[in-house]
Amino acid sequence: MSRIGVFVCHCGENISRTVDVERVAAEVGKLPGVAFSTDYKYMCSDPGQGLLKKAIREERLSHVVVAACSPRMHEKTFRKAVESAGLNPFLCEMANIREHCSWVHEDRDEATVKAIEIVGMMVERVKKNRVLPTITVPVTKRSLVIGGGIAGIQAALDIADAGHEVVLVEREPSIGGHMAQLSETFPTLDCSQCIMTPKMVDVANHPRIKLYTYAEIEHVEGYIGNFQVTVRRKARSVIEEKCTGCGVCMEKCPVRKIPNTFDRDLGMRPAIYVPFPQAVPNTPVIDRENCTKFKTGKCGVCQKVCGPGAVDYEQEDRLIVEPVGAIVVATGFDLYSIEEKPKGSSIKGYGEFGHGRIPDVIDGMTFERLASASGPTGGKIMRPSDGREPKQIVFIQCVGSRAREKGISYCSKICCMYTAKHTMLYHHKVHDGQAYVFFMDARTPGKSYDEFWRRSIEEEEAVYIRGMVSRLYQKGDKIVVMGSDISVGVQVEIEADMVVLATAVQPRKGADTLAQKLGISYDKYHFYSEAHAKLRPVECATAGIYLAGACQGPKDIPDTVSQASAAAAKVMTLFARDQLEREPIVARVRETGCVGCFYCKKVCPYGAVEEKEIRDRQGNLVKVVAYVNPGVCGGCGTCQATCPSKSVELDGYTDEQIVAMIESL
Amino acid sequence: MTPKNALRYAYYPGCSLHASAGEYDLSTRELFKKLNIGLTEVPDWFCCGATPAHNVDELLSLSLCAKNLELAEQVEGDLAVACAACFSRLKTTQHILSESEFKRQQVEKAIDAPVPLNGNVKHLLDILARDLGLKRLGQAVTKPLSGLKVACYYGCLLTRPTDVPNLDCVEAPTIMEDVLQAVGAETVAWSHRLECCGANFTLSRPGVVVQLSHAILDSAKAAGADCIMVACPLCHGNLDIRQKEIEGVYGTHYAMPVFYITQLVGLAAGLKADKLGLDALIVNPMPLLKEKQLI
Repeated sequence: MSRIGVFVCHCGENISRTVDVERVAAEVGKLPGVAFSTDYKYMCSDPGQGLLKKAIREERLSHVVVAACSPRMHEKTFRKAVESAGLNPFLCEMANIREHCSWVHEDRDEATVKAIEIVGMMVERVKKNRVLPTITVPVTKRSLVIGGGIAGIQAALDIADAGHEVVLVEREPSIGGHMAQLSETFPTLDCSQCIMTPKMVDVANHPRIKLYTYAEIEHVEGYIGNFQVTVRRKARSVIEEKCTGCGVCMEKCPVRKIPNTFDRDLGMRPAIYVPFPQAVPNTPVIDRENCTKFKTGKCGVCQKVCGPGAVDYEQEDRLIVEPVGAIVVATGFDLYSIEEKPKGSSIKGYGEFGHGRIPDVIDGMTFERLASASGPTGGKIMRPSDGREPKQIVFIQCVGSRAREKGISYCSKICCMYTAKHTMLYHHKVHDGQAYVFFMDARTPGKSYDEFWRRSIEEEEAVYIRGMVSRLYQKGDKIVVMGSDISVGVQVEIEADMVVLATAVQPRKGADTLAQKLGISYDKYHFYSEAHAKLRPVECATAGIYLAGACQGPKDIPDTVSQASAAAAKVMTLFARDQLEREPIVARVRETGCVGCFYCKKVCPYGAVEEKEIRDRQGNLVKVVAYVNPGVCGGCGTCQATCPSKSVELDGYTDEQIVAMIESL
Repeated sequence: MTPKNALRYAYYPGCSLHASAGEYDLSTRELFKKLNIGLTEVPDWFCCGATPAHNVDELLSLSLCAKNLELAEQVEGDLAVACAACFSRLKTTQHILSESEFKRQQVEKAIDAPVPLNGNVKHLLDILARDLGLKRLGQAVTKPLSGLKVACYYGCLLTRPTDVPNLDCVEAPTIMEDVLQAVGAETVAWSHRLECCGANFTLSRPGVVVQLSHAILDSAKAAGADCIMVACPLCHGNLDIRQKEIEGVYGTHYAMPVFYITQLVGLAAGLKADKLGLDALIVNPMPLLKEKQLI
């Protein structure tokens, strides 16, 4: 016979204002199986929990029902308290009489009756609860980091420095990401390359970092502590172990006129190339689409001139399986391409700004390459159309960002600051030039940020115009910028030599595909979702996967580095233990009933269902049944709802428990 | 006798087409007849309220359009609209009333009838480009407008307001160019195709109209256009009727004919000048059309 204890919480006045808690305690105390019932002002407080523990011991309680808030709020708290009093934590249930009752009702009598019924249901349910043992799984103390920008580099270095192995996978031929493309960084104007490249070298030289560049994630299996990740190393056509990085192949390559994407197509590169001179690894890659050898079969110059014989035209993609215990996703961002409406996207283009049609309308990243000392112009600001120095330059902020009518409503966060930086870089390089900025608001929260922005106006003579631009058009060799100055209510026309658009930050192309491989969620823009916006900002809802950098939302460098280190710390916390404890709310298969239809396998979102052979003593196959891997099972219950023979049940949510609840009404 | 699957529309000309823009009305009717598209004028239609009504009283403006939409239900087919402002107002009314249950009830009380919110309101451009289709439109051409360089002028209201599901992309529409290219004309790329002409300031502050319309004429000329094409009677008034005045103020000479879409397409479909009301245009188009051997 059960000896159930019921503890009714007032939640200050949150519950007791609408629900007569004393009456609830008295009524449920009469239910069969209930040995003890009481109410208290704050059950979750220390004295409240003490009351619960004392009652378990003194009243020899077998089960506990706490009638209070949502289990999402305090189930863990009370199960812990129950456990410390010597009961199995899964013999404790919560009856939600706050969110489901007191908060949503006004009539005290009716709410009290409903509360009694809610608690009564949980009493019947808890009678059917079983003792569940905590599941432990081993932890593979290696981490995967996806993305070799500043976020991935920081996370990889932190984890590796803590003594754990890291596999760093980067899609491009070199690590470095967007930060390697930047000229100088706000708010200190230190050279991006100067602070970035040493970290890149650290990655390359770190004994515990295994670096795969020009590689992508093919497939992910497993669960927290035990992932199996298949990495596709794309055919580089250059054997990394043999290449010395001498660069002769690049010098001799006869194909020279391929726009260099690293330089935003301003400069040219050969068909065998490294994206930029400081690339890590300094191993070239053959761009097979543009290589004469691959297009026509004739050429082969690079192979002939390569001393160490590193060029290999026959090389094929290789698939490598890496066992890891944790994954840090740091795939970064793309800049909104504004020329046309992207295909199949709800986001509209900016045809009215002429980007792509008017050569001297460029985006912010292109300006970075123009201003960069290692860029295609050697740091000289010149127009892409004719190489002239622009004397009047217009910067337009919020292109794509905060533009609901264009499909993006968020703020890209970095543009106010980098545009202020651009005006400074411009003023430093073109002393007789004038910079104008069209802006909606200047958003400069951050250490030394507002001072930096003020400096661009007060010392570097940028003219800020509050208002947006309606249209740009070419008039002779000038670009006419038609805008408005809303602070004085007039229309403004500026004849500019060059226009720079601060385009929106978007997640990397293919972010959704990667998320599906990893089993993590993303928002409508395809930014990855954190488990809790405030309290779990670097973890995914999927256990063992963490987020760093702009793949989670627009971020500047300081925020990105902070988040990367935070993600690394989370990985280290996981790796601090040899065994991982998991909640045993998992599905179990009743093998005698299972007919092996494997509908459960088809619907399982976690890939937790496996096929298991049942054999007799002679080793003859009797049948194949479903088996739920408790390490992988997420406890969603989809299999239970699907199973036609009712042979799979979710512990803690069995049909028997649910039916008992319904019958109590 | 029209074939069974032929296109057929209710026609809402709007006030201008019965007055200052008679040539737009005439050319529309003649062109549609030529293209075998049925056009039946909505009986007893009245003013959509245009710009003044919605500046003064939202309920009045919505009710005027709603009543017209209700009247249009008597005629079979989608509602064809020629004037850009009528089109914008009718579409906006449908949009506002389908978003707000409260406003819909108010309006239905005012007009004492249910408002048809699902009926399609279509601009002539939409009918030509999409319902008839560019391919069939091209097949109807007997005299391609080859060599005629046209600046397609959208003005404000064909694609606006932005949140109302509308004719084409708000900032970079192409539907006019598509239609004209289908009938063999050459369209120029120019800067001011979506700028405001000054609209009904033409009565209260003509100076504003002179300034804005001058910028439009100027950039069309700079882009090498022979003429401008419009789909709005008010734009037409400002660019055509006021052209002489603008030339006087700025000391320029444009002699830039301003055609309605139906006049140019009608010309390509083989209609004669008198069926298109070309004589009603203030800037005489005949020298240009003769030079290009189009009449």
